[in-house]
Amino acid sequence: MKYVILIHSNPQPWGHPTSDYLAAHQGLPDDVRKRLNAEFEQVMSELQANGELIGGEALGDPAAARLYRWQDGSPLASDGPYSEAKEHLAGFFLVDVESRARAEEVAARFAGPGETVELRPAMWPGGDDQ
Amino acid sequence: MVQRTLADVWRREAPHVLGALLRRYGDLGDCEDAAQEAAEAAASQWPVDGVPDNPRAWLIRVASRRLIDRTRAESARARREALDLARRPDDADVAPGADEVPGTEVDDTTRLLFLCCHPALSRPSQVALSLRAVAGLSVAQIAAAYLVPVRTMTQRLSRARATLRDAGARFAMPSDEELPARVAAVLDVCHLVFTEGYTRTSGETLVDVELAEEAIRLTRQVHVALPDHDEATGALALMLLTHARLPARTDSAGDLVPLAEQDRSRWRRGLIAEGVALLEETLPRGHVGRYQLQAAIAAVHAEASTYQATDWMQISVLYDMLSRVAPAPTVTLNHAVAVAMAHGPTVGLALLDPLLTEPAMRRHHRLYAVRAHLLELNGEVEAAAENYRRAAQVTTSLPEQRYLNRRLRRLGR
Repeated sequence: MKYVILIHSNPQPWGHPTSDYLAAHQGLPDDVRKRLNAEFEQVMSELQANGELIGGEALGDPAAARLYRWQDGSPLASDGPYSEAKEHLAGFFLVDVESRARAEEVAARFAGPGETVELRPAMWPGGDDQ
Repeated sequence: MVQRTLADVWRREAPHVLGALLRRYGDLGDCEDAAQEAAEAAASQWPVDGVPDNPRAWLIRVASRRLIDRTRAESARARREALDLARRPDDADVAPGADEVPGTEVDDTTRLLFLCCHPALSRPSQVALSLRAVAGLSVAQIAAAYLVPVRTMTQRLSRARATLRDAGARFAMPSDEELPARVAAVLDVCHLVFTEGYTRTSGETLVDVELAEEAIRLTRQVHVALPDHDEATGALALMLLTHARLPARTDSAGDLVPLAEQDRSRWRRGLIAEGVALLEETLPRGHVGRYQLQAAIAAVHAEASTYQATDWMQISVLYDMLSRVAPAPTVTLNHAVAVAMAHGPTVGLALLDPLLTEPAMRRHHRLYAVRAHLLELNGEVEAAAENYRRAAQVTTSLPEQRYLNRRLRRLGR
């Protein structure tokens, strides 16, 4: 079953990996930061080797976004960011895993200080019973 | 024409070609690659030279040659290892040579399925490997069927082969102790492929591989290999009886048509007759497993001329048996529906109550969909709407969600 793992974050300045630009992450002792980064690398290569990772992208600065709203029967363009929320969509991963439990296990390992990880099931024609 | 013949020949011969290679060379990944190369050689040569009299022997000969060529081209260390392996085939004393056409037609397919359903592999890996090695589907076809990129499926397959290698899995029948569990795994894999294909046909993506039919073909081979295995017979009967409903299962827009509203004149009578005949052959033998029970339930539905004429009493008895043989939340759900139809919605709803506290069921759309349906039957419109809403929230199936939203609208809430 397919899930999207969404990373909501606000690196300053905007950059990837987001952890390098987050105060909450920068404030950690070096060995802890090193461990967290290594764990992230590990879950990524594990997903890849298992054939569970379908894809993912790191997204550009939300300030660089272009927004299109519908007005008087046609699109009206303006510049971003889309929302004034304190976190923005910074990147996403699409995974295809055996169960919801596995998806939750993976998503938890994407979590880090200073950002929010959101796990959402993907809708599809066949659908799953979970 | 030759293209079509080639595809048919390949699908039929793939397990036998692989079987012959595996007897000699052992490693599944290498043998699959060589078999694939032989298939490619056939694709370029047969249209010119014509299809050989004995396509299997031709394919085995070419694949063996490729395997040996590759072995020679590899490093000295790898070469020594491979030659060593080639000198010590798994069952050299009893197996025919790779160029001979063995008389073990059915055994090859089953043995290969047993290998692909090795307990060291996860279910999805077993499924993917079986479709690749036994059904002879290409990686691209399997990837398309499961809606994942080819690269992802390639990684999944190579991880599965490596796991088999590490586990020391062999191309041989499992021991007597292992056999029952392995047959059960094989049937589960076939059934998973079937349900995948069956639910997918209700969707929007057209897939060029008919997974459901592929599953029936594989199960049929298991049934031929193990004619006295009651559950293999039951699984085949179940798939035929379910597959029979396919033409009535979706409307012209591709939306799901529930059993109650299906046009039964569109059911395939031939498949129903075959399924019922298989059941009649196995049920009197005494041992009754989950597939036979599910098939028996499907047969009762098939015998009813309309939904209203369904023998719900008999179906609720069968579900009661199934909930003892193979208890599962989904069985309880179906049991509740049958009981509600036979004895009234409140009796059915009471059966569902324990599921509401089960963590695994909290996100299961079917629980809420069934409750909604029974509450609606009982005239509890508000509660029914709430359950349809919850079901539509948690399902990940697009057609299912459309169906649930339609029911919700019909309630006017």
